[in-house]
Amino acid sequence: MDRVIETDVLVVGGGGAGFRAAIGARQRGVRVTLASKGPLARCGATPMAGADFTLDGRSMSQIEGLAGDPNDSPEKVMNDIITQGCFLNNQKLVEQYIRRAPQCLRELIEWGIHIKISDQRMIFTTGTGIMDALLRKARAVGVELLEDITLLDLVTDDGAVIGALGLDVRSGDFIEFRTKAVVMASGGWHKAFWPTTGMRDLAGDGLAMGYRAGAALGNMEFITFCCNVFLSPPAWMGSIAPYVLSLLAGGGRLTNSLGEEFLQKYDPYTVKVGITTEWNKSFISHATMREVREGKGSPNGGVYYSRGDVPWEKIEQVAALMCPDWRYKAIDLSNWGQMLKNNEPVEVGSAAEYFDGGLVVNDRFETDLRGLYAAGECALGAFGANRVFAAITEMLVQGADAGDNAACYAQTAKILAPGRETLFSLQAAAEEPLRRSDGLNPAKVRRIVQEAAHKNLGPIRNREELEAFRGFLENVRREQLPNLATQSKSRIYNKEWLDALELGNMVQLLEIATVSALIRTESRGVHYREDCPLTDNDQWLVENVVRRAGDGFEITPRPVTVTGMALPTGKTPYLEFMKKMMASHSDTGGKH
Amino acid sequence: MASANIKVRVFRFDPSVDKQPRYEDYQVPFQAGMSAMDALDYIYQNLDSTLAYYDHAGCALGICGRCTGRINGKPGLLCQTIIAGDVTLEPLSAAVVLKDLVVKTGQ
Ligand SMILES: Cc1cc2nc3c(=O)[nH]c(=O)nc-3n(C[C@H](O)[C@H](O)[C@H](O)COP(=O)(O)OP(=O)(O)OC[C@H]3O[C@@H](n4cnc5c(N)ncnc54)[C@H](O)[C@@H]3O)c2cc1C
Ligand code: FES
Repeated sequence: MDRVIETDVLVVGGGGAGFRAAIGARQRGVRVTLASKGPLARCGATPMAGADFTLDGRSMSQIEGLAGDPNDSPEKVMNDIITQGCFLNNQKLVEQYIRRAPQCLRELIEWGIHIKISDQRMIFTTGTGIMDALLRKARAVGVELLEDITLLDLVTDDGAVIGALGLDVRSGDFIEFRTKAVVMASGGWHKAFWPTTGMRDLAGDGLAMGYRAGAALGNMEFITFCCNVFLSPPAWMGSIAPYVLSLLAGGGRLTNSLGEEFLQKYDPYTVKVGITTEWNKSFISHATMREVREGKGSPNGGVYYSRGDVPWEKIEQVAALMCPDWRYKAIDLSNWGQMLKNNEPVEVGSAAEYFDGGLVVNDRFETDLRGLYAAGECALGAFGANRVFAAITEMLVQGADAGDNAACYAQTAKILAPGRETLFSLQAAAEEPLRRSDGLNPAKVRRIVQEAAHKNLGPIRNREELEAFRGFLENVRREQLPNLATQSKSRIYNKEWLDALELGNMVQLLEIATVSALIRTESRGVHYREDCPLTDNDQWLVENVVRRAGDGFEITPRPVTVTGMALPTGKTPYLEFMKKMMASHSDTGGKH
Repeated sequence: MASANIKVRVFRFDPSVDKQPRYEDYQVPFQAGMSAMDALDYIYQNLDSTLAYYDHAGCALGICGRCTGRINGKPGLLCQTIIAGDVTLEPLSAAVVLKDLVVKTGQ
């Protein structure tokens, strides 16, 4: 072993959930180490986010300097999150979100975020601003911070997590972690898809290693695609700038390759809510994919967006807020500004953005595996079948409690050194692609898998395609993964090596998601089956919980956790149910 | 949209084994609006997988700031510098190279 690091709580992941967990744990007085696969405070989805923090308006109105609708209430938020999630939500986690959000927002303000807008029930700030505030706080309280370190596997002893194997991406050295508790905060698995809106570090390693170590995964078939993502030019591909602009501007014109305004064929109420609120992700992604699948898509598999009837002045107003001088983050969008002015279309489409499923946790954020906690996007969270409320709030409220609870657990647990043999065999397995002299190119295999995932696990699915994709993945797992070989044998910043290691995780998660999608013979939220187009509340108000079993896995249905809101019954066509859920929204305004 | 190829000249150097840096030329299909990073992605995925540039946790959208380099001699972000034809890609300084276009931490 090249290096050994001992700590009380190891946090895996340096996004908002990881940082908030690390701060919370450290505030209990235990030693905390946070390992981030990428640059500190500049990796994962959090810095990419807009970003909105959403909570109940009444609590918000009680925070000095903020707007917030005093007539809003926790009950209304509960109603809205659950109807948006099409009743598949874990209601205990929804309650936790609502209860913890006001305090988490107060802290963020105290730690120095800048608020750009505040409305009925949300503030709008930036993801990078949130990360900067969390980084300052983590440093101030004394969290050990490691960057460019990727965790490869957890080590368990007698049913509890006691350590982990890590890899220093720059040097190629292995790191042994000895710890009393682990908080998994590794985010989503965007990298399994192409195109994608996420950063390149999000390969689902944390979900896969938690699952390998014995924790359960749930609702993996629910994958949110963001609509109106740039598909061209290549340098902008994956940027959600048109999504943000179209939402803030309240519309625009979407056309297919025949020039038809395809939203016109849908119910006007659904279209209105589906354009002006964050229901747009599920509704417009669904409608976009339908055009693409019917052969009316753009060259890169999308549609076209122009400003349509939205006055240029309105666009300028939104741009001034969202991308002053047409610079969105470091992207120079001035060309697009000109196109919008001239009402010229750009090519946009739907791409993987948020993973609704994840590691199964209880309301203390404990997984099935003792000592392993999970928070943020990698956990099966509060949003059920469809996220409209803020994942930014989710990562912070969950990070706060997961960190706190992990620290309490660590205060009574012992440090145990992982067994030498276990570590040797994990290292040997990790080194295989590096040692194999001849074999398949990891980057090439990855790209083929990513494109197939986008095609088969998108917003519209059917049995035939899912079964074919399952067969494809099985073949990759059996025939290709064992034969991956890096061309370069250097350990120093070896991209191919990482690609090979990540690919195993991505294929594992894709297989689980595909089988979960096959089993769920209904349509709900972001999961639509052409061959099972009804939302079936009689049979399918259950979570698909996945555990390792022998060489494979088994999926068991778990009834939805209900605390306050009764579940609906009956079967309803997908879009009709969506409309019903939209119409169940409380009287509070805003984009959520 | 793919049309003619362009020549992309890339700085290569692994200080742990190489005595000095060298340059390697690759033929990359040109697409209007492609960034230097798009060219590197193409090379890595199709022509030479031994190439190192910071992308294992890159954002490709101008947020993380880890892809700095020289594009035809001019400093910039590889992922947000649009290329228009033949191009040379180098690190900001050869002295701080970890491998190829990846520089050491803190540089
Ligand atoms: C483009 C985009 C825009 C978005 N905008 C919004 C928005 O406006 N509002 C909103 O509410 N939500 C938004 N979301 C969703 C939201 O940003 C995410 O759900 C949230 O930030 C997730 O936080 P997290 O801390 O759980 O994970 P992330 O921020 O993704 O962080 C994951 C961390 O884990 C690390 N990691 C991964 N694997 C390993 C490993 N093996 N070893 C060590 N570290 C590892 C990563 O490097 C990263 O540091 C957006 C998402 C995207 C992609
Ligand atoms: S890759 Fe992040 S700024 Fe270029």
